[in-house]
Amino acid sequence: MLQLHDVTKLYGSGAAQVRALDGVSLSVDAGSLVAVMGPSGSGKSTLLTIAGSLEEPTSGDVVVGGSPLASMSVDERARLRRRSIGFVFQDFNLLPGLTAAENVALPLELDGTRPRAARQMAIEALEGLGLDTEADRFPDQLSGGERQRVAIARAVVGDRRLLLADEPSGALDSANGEAVMRLVLAACRRGVAAVVVTHDAQLASWADRVVFIRDGRIVDGTVPPPSPEALLQAAPEP
Amino acid sequence: MTVPSGPVPVAARPNHGGAAARRAVRRWSWRLFRLEWRQQLLVLALVVVAVAATTVGATVAVGAQVPADTGFGTAHDMATLSGTPGHVAAEEAALRHRVGRVDMITNEQQRVPGSTDTYDLRAQDPGGPFGSPMLALRSGRFPAHPGEVALTPGLAAELHLHPGDTWHDGTATRRVVGLVVNPQNLVDAFALVVPGSVTTPTSVTVLFDAPLSVVGALTVPVSVVGRGVYANVLNPETIVLALATLGMLLIALVAVGGFTVLAQRRLRSLGLLASLGASRRHVAMVVRANGAAVGVAGAVGGFVLGLAAWLAARPMVENSAHHVIGVWALPWAVVVPAMALAVVATWAASARPARAVARVPVVDALAGRPAPPAPVHRTALPGLVTLVIAFFLFGASGAAAGQGGGMPEMVLGLVVLVAAIVLLAPLCLSVLGAVARRAPVGMRLALRDLARYRSRAGAALAAITLGVLIATIVAVAAAARYGNSLDYVGPNLATNQLVLSPAPVGVPAPDATKGGPGSPLGLPGPPPGPTPAQVRAEDAAMATSAHQLATQFGSGTTALELDGSSATLVHTGPGRTFTGTVYVATPQLLQAFGIAPSTIDPAADVLTSRPGLSGVSGLRLVAGEDSPIAGPGPIGAPPGSDGHPSCSPPSCLAHPVIQEVAALPTGTAAPNVVLTEHAVRILHLHPTAAAWLVQAPQPLTAAQVSAARLAAGAAGLQVETKNDEPTGATIIDGATIFGIVLALGVLAMAVGLLRSETAGDLRTLAATGASTRSRRVIVATTAGALAAVGAVVGTAAGYLAVAGWLRSNRLDGLSALTSVPLANLLVILVGLPVLAAAGGWLVAGRRPSGLARPVTA
Repeated sequence: MLQLHDVTKLYGSGAAQVRALDGVSLSVDAGSLVAVMGPSGSGKSTLLTIAGSLEEPTSGDVVVGGSPLASMSVDERARLRRRSIGFVFQDFNLLPGLTAAENVALPLELDGTRPRAARQMAIEALEGLGLDTEADRFPDQLSGGERQRVAIARAVVGDRRLLLADEPSGALDSANGEAVMRLVLAACRRGVAAVVVTHDAQLASWADRVVFIRDGRIVDGTVPPPSPEALLQAAPEP
Repeated sequence: MTVPSGPVPVAARPNHGGAAARRAVRRWSWRLFRLEWRQQLLVLALVVVAVAATTVGATVAVGAQVPADTGFGTAHDMATLSGTPGHVAAEEAALRHRVGRVDMITNEQQRVPGSTDTYDLRAQDPGGPFGSPMLALRSGRFPAHPGEVALTPGLAAELHLHPGDTWHDGTATRRVVGLVVNPQNLVDAFALVVPGSVTTPTSVTVLFDAPLSVVGALTVPVSVVGRGVYANVLNPETIVLALATLGMLLIALVAVGGFTVLAQRRLRSLGLLASLGASRRHVAMVVRANGAAVGVAGAVGGFVLGLAAWLAARPMVENSAHHVIGVWALPWAVVVPAMALAVVATWAASARPARAVARVPVVDALAGRPAPPAPVHRTALPGLVTLVIAFFLFGASGAAAGQGGGMPEMVLGLVVLVAAIVLLAPLCLSVLGAVARRAPVGMRLALRDLARYRSRAGAALAAITLGVLIATIVAVAAAARYGNSLDYVGPNLATNQLVLSPAPVGVPAPDATKGGPGSPLGLPGPPPGPTPAQVRAEDAAMATSAHQLATQFGSGTTALELDGSSATLVHTGPGRTFTGTVYVATPQLLQAFGIAPSTIDPAADVLTSRPGLSGVSGLRLVAGEDSPIAGPGPIGAPPGSDGHPSCSPPSCLAHPVIQEVAALPTGTAAPNVVLTEHAVRILHLHPTAAAWLVQAPQPLTAAQVSAARLAAGAAGLQVETKNDEPTGATIIDGATIFGIVLALGVLAMAVGLLRSETAGDLRTLAATGASTRSRRVIVATTAGALAAVGAVVGTAAGYLAVAGWLRSNRLDGLSALTSVPLANLLVILVGLPVLAAAGGWLVAGRRPSGLARPVTA
């Protein structure tokens, strides 16, 4: 579903140049959950944004669902995000002014689905997450966990086949964090490929594969982790 | 959880989401507008005020005009018959035969007992085929038989009558059955009786509809309604619409800054939208839709406010305009375009911020990082070229003004000039960056920020510049016009003065379009003129009356005789002609204004209070009944070497010696130009009493003026009192205040925007130990620098516009620019930046608001 081949990303120029990603290659199959771990500034989020077509790599190829991003225009990449990629962010996920159902329906409507049909699909997605009673509430009327679940519903609604989550449980307590990961895993079980960036080894243990990244390079890909605590011990020294 | 698939096949969906996507984006934008309307209050308020002012202004301006059909009712043609009753009856029968249906209105002019006022005894059928819109009942009913009458409210009050009273008008006794008005002419005073009750008419008006060919063949004088009333493009609708356009342009410039900040506040939301798959077009649409929403809300709110203001002002306007104006008689041709302009202006203002925010990389947007200021490599060439085009357009306007045109060129010139300002404003900011190099750190930071964030600061600077530009154009043009000593304009008199002069002989012929159906058209001419002895006697009587009238205003009031002659000044050079009355500097006149005879140059021919008149070349003092009032042209003498008629005493005095005497009054109806005894002798003039200038110690009250009019009317005199003409200083001061207030208003917002965008810098400064003073310096410098650049550029552009217009204007020319409103320009150039800086210093004491904090869910 997602392939990155020798992807490099440079920011800035001259002495101020930063190598955020350095020859990263990664493949995520449909139905699998990959956790990306690493210290701050290691390039985890950059990996996610490049995989999700929010940024372009300086070099290397990114292929989503068999389509190379390099050959796509800005509008084509936007269409790809509407149809195939779902994002979940840490603390900023829902648009103010739109209800939970409208937030979930938004990518569908942006893609041309009629409002009534889009709302129906959104309600169904929310029902699947146990949030159907919250469909008409605004983001500021929802708890943090509810907001994140709505964000996941939005990320998987429609024909989305790639879910990219950047610290989805970062702003949640452990119970809500686990609930979120359970939802992500459930989506994977239905064939969605997911990449989750997390600092939390406990949550990473839910993944089929954990990728360690440091200074822009993948330093290890552990399959599968024996336990969350062991993951940190298994990480190699720089 | 289920992941349902969309009902629309992917291949069938439009690339940009089509109508469904647009609807979703607009919905969100509207919700955001409702959530954050307070942040857009300034722009919203500006639009509301502009639309409201346009609505009420245009309605008043158009409604106050005398309607073209006044006096016609619903008819298109009006004939006025006069003569003996038999002759009138014969003409009416002939008219009825030619045109068919007619409506006759018969008037007999009568005098109100004990007063100089008159009224018409009017016989008219309230249900007549054409005249019914000229009658409306205020109370009671219309008269039904010859023993009944309905009066206009004013006449009833003057006669102390009420409905139900009995009225003896000297010839007949009638019962007052109602109060009526002529809605088309509220000052039309009449007593309405049933048709056939007026036996000795002063005039008979016949209303009818007939083809032009029939009208042309009639032997009686016929007026046709509404011919060429709006032929002039300078009608109130055009002027109000032009002002509204200019105002909206200004608002758009202010709004650019507002929408830029708003887009920045929503940056993370917009980034999230993009991450969901919204295209750049969708992201831009959020901001644009917000702009349109502000415009729509402002337009609707403004219209409602304007309508309310109109409803409140309507009674006053009707009283002032002397005719009834319908509640919904709004000039829709102005109101609707003004509302549309409001939407277009705010939508256009949001276009640039929308484009800019749509180009911010999604990751930067998600992080709330605005795009770094892009280096500007823009050349000044387009701005300068546009400026030159504007200059020549103003020139074309000035050249065409002599032929009564020039308005389209002027409007186009203004639009092009504004475009030039918008293009050049950001470049002016780069100058500040260069100046900043040697400034203290706070000032340096502020000036560099201005130079860096040009897209937003440039719009604010353009708005400030435009405000100053308008003020400068008005001030400089007013100074040029009011500074013209030949074609002298301004208030006619001081508030404590009035001028008495002999009333015109005979009954004046009223204007058919202004008077009611009772206009006594076709009256026989005045009787033969009086003998010289009678004239002298009348003059003496009027002089006595004038002095008696002056005593009514209390002690200290004087009545100065103003002697006139047949001489006047004539300007033979290019440009404007001399206007005004030339009186004679009698010893009494000099004494009245405290002018010692010893201070007068023995060689002086003319004394004047008009500044600059002594320096005007090409003047002649021409005597005689046939004195021309225009420049070149025959005056009954062979032309001289300069192509003008020859000029020699005693009929003409070339290059008269003019002495400026500041003690003389400056009013246009006052003796501001007087002939000396020297000139009187040379031109063999025989001055006679022409008027009397009454000067009271205090300003005259309305009651005193009213009493003076009554007394003067009885004595055969007419009264001229102070008119509403503003002074040049009033206009220039008003323009200056307008420019400064507008600029400060724009600054108040622009500086707020700057503070929000540089809040990070301020936090860093605070972290490094900078005090509140540093914040004050930054804000004060920002405000002061923007104001200074706006003042300089606006003043320069204003002068350029006026110079371009005057350059090719036949009447004035560039020499008119010698009248410089120096004090006002100094207030703008120095006072505005100082005020702005002081205001910035004061408001910077507060902590920066949370404007820079993004909206989060």
